[in-house]
Amino acid sequence: MLCRDADSCFWIGRYVERVEATARMVDVHYHAALESPIPPGVNTVEDADLEPIRWQSLLAISGSDEDFYKRYTSENDRDVLHFFSFDTLNPNSILSTWKLARDNARSIREQIASEMWESLNATYLSLKGMDADQVLAASPHEFFNSVKNSSHLLQGILNRTMLMGEARDWLDAGRFLERACQTARLLDVKYHDLLPVQADTDTFARTAGASAYGVGGAIDAHGWMAVLKSVSALEMYRKTHRDGIKPANVVDFLVLCPSFPASVKHGIGRVEGCLKRIRDGAGGKTGTEAERLIGRLVADLTYTRPDEIIEAGLHEFLENVQERCDSIGSAIHRSYLSY
Amino acid sequence: MALFDRYQTDGFYDEMFQPDGQPRPHYRRLYQRIRAMSGEDFRRRCQLADLTLVNQGITFAVYGNEEGVEKAFPFDLIPRIIPAEEWDHIELGLKQRLVALNLFLYDVYHDQKILNDGVVPRELVLGAANYRREFQGADPPHGIYVHICGSDLIRDGEGVLRVLEDNLRTPSGVSYVLENRIILTRVMPQLFRDMSVKPVDHYPVALLKNLRALAPAHCAGSEPTIGLLTPGVYNSAYFEHSFLAQQLGIQLVEGRDLFVDDNQVFMKTTRGPQRLDVIYRRVDDDFLDPMVFRQDSVLGVPGLINAYRAGNVALANSIGTGVADDKVIYAYVPRIIKYYLGEEAIIPNVDTFLAWQPSDYSYIMNNLDKLVIKAANESGGYGMLIGPQSTRAEQAEFADKIRANPRNYIAQPLIALSRSPAMIGDNFEGRHVDLRPYILYGVDDITIIPGGLTRVALRKGSYVVNSSQGGGSKDTWVLPGEGYAGNAGAMQKADEIMSALSLFQHQRQEQSEFGSISTQMGVQ
Repeated sequence: MLCRDADSCFWIGRYVERVEATARMVDVHYHAALESPIPPGVNTVEDADLEPIRWQSLLAISGSDEDFYKRYTSENDRDVLHFFSFDTLNPNSILSTWKLARDNARSIREQIASEMWESLNATYLSLKGMDADQVLAASPHEFFNSVKNSSHLLQGILNRTMLMGEARDWLDAGRFLERACQTARLLDVKYHDLLPVQADTDTFARTAGASAYGVGGAIDAHGWMAVLKSVSALEMYRKTHRDGIKPANVVDFLVLCPSFPASVKHGIGRVEGCLKRIRDGAGGKTGTEAERLIGRLVADLTYTRPDEIIEAGLHEFLENVQERCDSIGSAIHRSYLSY
Repeated sequence: MALFDRYQTDGFYDEMFQPDGQPRPHYRRLYQRIRAMSGEDFRRRCQLADLTLVNQGITFAVYGNEEGVEKAFPFDLIPRIIPAEEWDHIELGLKQRLVALNLFLYDVYHDQKILNDGVVPRELVLGAANYRREFQGADPPHGIYVHICGSDLIRDGEGVLRVLEDNLRTPSGVSYVLENRIILTRVMPQLFRDMSVKPVDHYPVALLKNLRALAPAHCAGSEPTIGLLTPGVYNSAYFEHSFLAQQLGIQLVEGRDLFVDDNQVFMKTTRGPQRLDVIYRRVDDDFLDPMVFRQDSVLGVPGLINAYRAGNVALANSIGTGVADDKVIYAYVPRIIKYYLGEEAIIPNVDTFLAWQPSDYSYIMNNLDKLVIKAANESGGYGMLIGPQSTRAEQAEFADKIRANPRNYIAQPLIALSRSPAMIGDNFEGRHVDLRPYILYGVDDITIIPGGLTRVALRKGSYVVNSSQGGGSKDTWVLPGEGYAGNAGAMQKADEIMSALSLFQHQRQEQSEFGSISTQMGVQ
């Protein structure tokens, strides 16, 4: 397969997954915030005053607060929704990212099934025709759900139409690498969000269950549930962990569980499988740097226990995973896509 | 009120209606079926077709337009019909023309007999912008220069079909022929029922067959790797490049995907370099190889031309074919046909005045307000003056241009192009049309898909059908009339042309067996 075509497939996979992650994150954050109790220190129940508080942490965890405040003055629902969904000046907005996926697909239309292109293009055209006011007036949840469904539809078309071959493996490799990154990031930032004051691991253990706002308290369980919901994991989590929502179990499920499709371990394992199949074809490259880095990360995720992660510091662990995902991405480029 | 009730032919030759307002015989059934529809129903189907075009991204890029770079090519749903008897005549004429033009190219790049005999002035050929001196004496596989040709035909006020120009470099538009048919069968299936419209979907098959036949010797019977070389997503015809690559099942490549090593062309793949054997190139000569042609080209592949000369890769079309679609050389095509085939042109040209000839020059300069002036090597409706629709300032501007470079300009009378009904707003109105058939010149035969692309100038009164100038397109039907059993005379004539061709190829092969050609293929 042409390097340029493989590169485009890889990035279509990444961009579409990134859009899905953004939609999930904003959706869950928006709705979780609607239900959460008024935080201490806030006396009024006027919606107008609560809006900014709802959005500040989302802007912070998505790393886009700086960009946002450059162009907007207050964190009202409309502006934030516009910023994350339709703002073409925000390179990470749903519309911007989907457009990148669509432009990549346009440059390799002959490589992918025409239904895939049509689906990417139709979603792009429909996103382009919407705005934040319409979404707020109708239902933000419906909107985010439809974005998520567009990603799923594309994956379904891919599964149903694409040859079991290299193009498909590159699309999958991009998708699963991005998903592993996004899950690690989400867990990391949500963990910070849950512990606004006591952020180090010592207090994490000591304060467990001490108050409604501490780790293990009612608010804490609510927060962890939001984390699980944001990756559609809550129901599956309940099936595998029947003793309630506990941090170590959530970490186990979202990071180490090999069978949950959004877990870090599952994602990295799938990338490994894709590269292995690409290698196994005639004349494939063996022993690349990308394979070495992936193999090592898979080993770490396979032989680490959740309690070890929490003891050593969840944040440090997740930060390390994210860095390694980035290195894997660059190594894939160097090994296969640009020479 | 029924559709067509208010339709006027306004004194133009109308493809669908006779001057008395009655539909022409070959349009009668279509006319009845369209009349059976309500205006609302027709418009709904138009919208459905538009939606399909946009969703499928069947678009072209417009240059010099930052916002909304991609545009859908408007598709008018009323088909243009050509009766099979007339089509046989057209097909024959196109074959004759392409055979003669290929013989001309071979001659120009080899013995130049036609120049020695003074039939075409030597300085016109050797001075043509698209004559490639670097290719003098080089030998394309099977002696074929033009594998894919798109000639533009128009019908004048008397109903006579004429060739307006030949496109022998990288003609585009065939993807719209194929897509228009698919879309029309979906949104108006009832129009097709029991009509026996001649199919067009064998085009990709025929093209692929021809490209495979060009496989260089090193392929030795094994399947060649074929690529379509595109300038990239920003090219106006990118949709077509991608569409054809998909339909043919060949690799779509850009210059940056390729490199040349030891006179062999390779693609950069995830499994290392892979050899490329045949290239259907949609990049102009000028940009193909910065080592031979334009040095600033980033679209090409350094070393490609030498690889081609060495016979390690085949190119379709070959290099330097533009010398034969130069608008000045065009005027000589009837003489070229006569010279090589000893026949009169089956499809006539449009009368053409050449500014480089002193007698024509003064006529042109005195009649700028009546003539159509064209630059010899522009396309897409650029670089032309339509005298009767121009201002005095525009005429003065062209007068200066012609004075500065007479070789570069031709003039033709303004032809009242035939019209065909098109949906404009809520009504049918007459709009000018042309026809671009696609001709595939293979090793053994010439294939022309029935019909071709009918382009329609959707702007009221406009004669310019190019997509970049507000043009749209129509599905084109070749329909056998009642009692039609093939045109025996035309068939026999086609056989004669083809046997003249095979005789030529036979002679050329003998020649190369004596080795006179391979020695000339050294690096310049």
